[in-house]
Amino acid sequence: MPNVIETTGLTRAYGSRRGIVDVAFSVAEGEVFGFLGPNGAGKTTTIRLLAGAIRPTSGSARVFGLDTWADATRVHASMAYLPSDPGYLGELTSGEQLDYLAALRGLPRGAWRRPAERLELDPSVRIRKLSRGNRQKVAVVQVFMGREPLLVMDEPTSGLDPLMQREFLALLAEAKADGRTVFLSSHNLQEVERGCDRVAVIREGRVVDISPVQALLGEHWRSVNLVLDAPPRPGFFDLPNVRVLSEGGRDVHVMVRGDVNPLLRRIAELDVRDVAITTPDIEDVFLRFYDAAGAEPAEPAAAPRMPTEVTP
Amino acid sequence: MIATVVGLELRRSRSLVGWMAVLSVAYAGIMTLMYPRMAESNQALQAYMKVFPKEIIAAFGMENGLSDVGTFFNVYVFSMLWPIVAAIVGILLATRPVAADLDRGFLELPLATRISRRRYLLAGIGVQFVAMLVLVVATLAIIVLIGPLVGYPFDVARFAVAGLLLLSSGCAIAAVTALLAVVTLSRGVAGGVVAGALVVMYLLNAVAKIDPGLDWLSYLTAFRYLDPVATLDSGTWPLDGLAVFALVAAASWLGALWAFGRRDLLP
Repeated sequence: MPNVIETTGLTRAYGSRRGIVDVAFSVAEGEVFGFLGPNGAGKTTTIRLLAGAIRPTSGSARVFGLDTWADATRVHASMAYLPSDPGYLGELTSGEQLDYLAALRGLPRGAWRRPAERLELDPSVRIRKLSRGNRQKVAVVQVFMGREPLLVMDEPTSGLDPLMQREFLALLAEAKADGRTVFLSSHNLQEVERGCDRVAVIREGRVVDISPVQALLGEHWRSVNLVLDAPPRPGFFDLPNVRVLSEGGRDVHVMVRGDVNPLLRRIAELDVRDVAITTPDIEDVFLRFYDAAGAEPAEPAAAPRMPTEVTP
Repeated sequence: MIATVVGLELRRSRSLVGWMAVLSVAYAGIMTLMYPRMAESNQALQAYMKVFPKEIIAAFGMENGLSDVGTFFNVYVFSMLWPIVAAIVGILLATRPVAADLDRGFLELPLATRISRRRYLLAGIGVQFVAMLVLVVATLAIIVLIGPLVGYPFDVARFAVAGLLLLSSGCAIAAVTALLAVVTLSRGVAGGVVAGALVVMYLLNAVAKIDPGLDWLSYLTAFRYLDPVATLDSGTWPLDGLAVFALVAAASWLGALWAFGRRDLLP
């Protein structure tokens, strides 16, 4: 498949401040590509370069083969863009605001109705009266209201409640099913895990890893908290990819990396009252990349984060 | 597509321009109603003016006496009301499409669509021009409409020519502000510089009028060229003023368009 986005040596400096350095990646047609990094890592700078809002210091960013700075207007004709923390005109209703942006994108009036209904956005309320979450819905609706073959989004679910985040992921899946290409930045690993095919990790302005999502997550520790009917025998959880953090009585806390099946088989031998498995969060993922030698972290995070499932 | 932007910018401007037009109409209308009293009390007024130091009279351009049509409307409308109205509207409208909208996080949205940056800014410039035109017409229309009602049918053609001077000066204020807004991307800096410069120029012009030896200072100010007294009194075209303001406006707006297409947009 041809590449929709291609950057080579993309660098942007802000005077003496670091922006991004030598960023290179490509996004294939129909791919959902995540761009992961903590605040200040360079995500928004990269996206602004893709959107033609700023000019690269060196290197290039091309979308559909066009230079994103020199051919910005032509690039925009094929792109729906959601900037980080967008602002709207408070005196307009969200419907009026969306109609305005639709007109500039060559879309008919009311093109926003279907995604607005999906996200339960009331189009008749003035934007100044909307909560932050509802304003973010306006942003998400505007990006999904058209048929552009490329969607570029900077932290699109910021401020959305979990139900709306789920609806966002559904819209994302439909966009992918339609063959559209998506580039989204996030610091929410779950969002990237559920929505993306591949992910680039950016740290201090440099892309340090590009992997399929499952490969990225598979390299990181997951926390497993167990409440058992009876304490396990010593050494019961001694497995190559498992670390036991605490094993006091009936409460057991272990960390697992990679293939979880051996651990699950061990657990199945026990009478389990409760179990909580947490995915790694962004900090866990970055632990690896902040290790200068590239070695694994000395210890996995001790505290469980982001429970994803709890079964009695 | 540019019409869509113009439509929204007009809608966003209507409240500001509407209220400023009401203010201008009210003020200019009241002053026009007062003019007959001034004209009919010329001798008393001349005697009264002698109380003041000559320097004060010169600073405010009242040497011809307030019963003179050109002097009266210049003192109360052209060099007092209009610079304030034009500065408020020019600064607010010219900083909005670029600096203010970038600051509020809105600008990236329309500029990520099919409209080019320069067309987008051109729409904003068009609205600045229309706003100035509306204000000039409102201000002068009330004068020429009320004039006959109070027994003084002013020369409409002369006021129309003076209106061109007002329009070009207002456009110059908006254009310089627009250029500064594009260069600095800061509504505060652009607006502050323009407002401050206008105040300084007003003072310099007053000093130049007080001391003939400092007349050269007036060439540094816009107010030297915003002088319609001869136009209103004798129908002379203010060619130097029109030329200066039109040149500044055109150059600044073109500069803003050029710079906006080339610069980074970073809030």
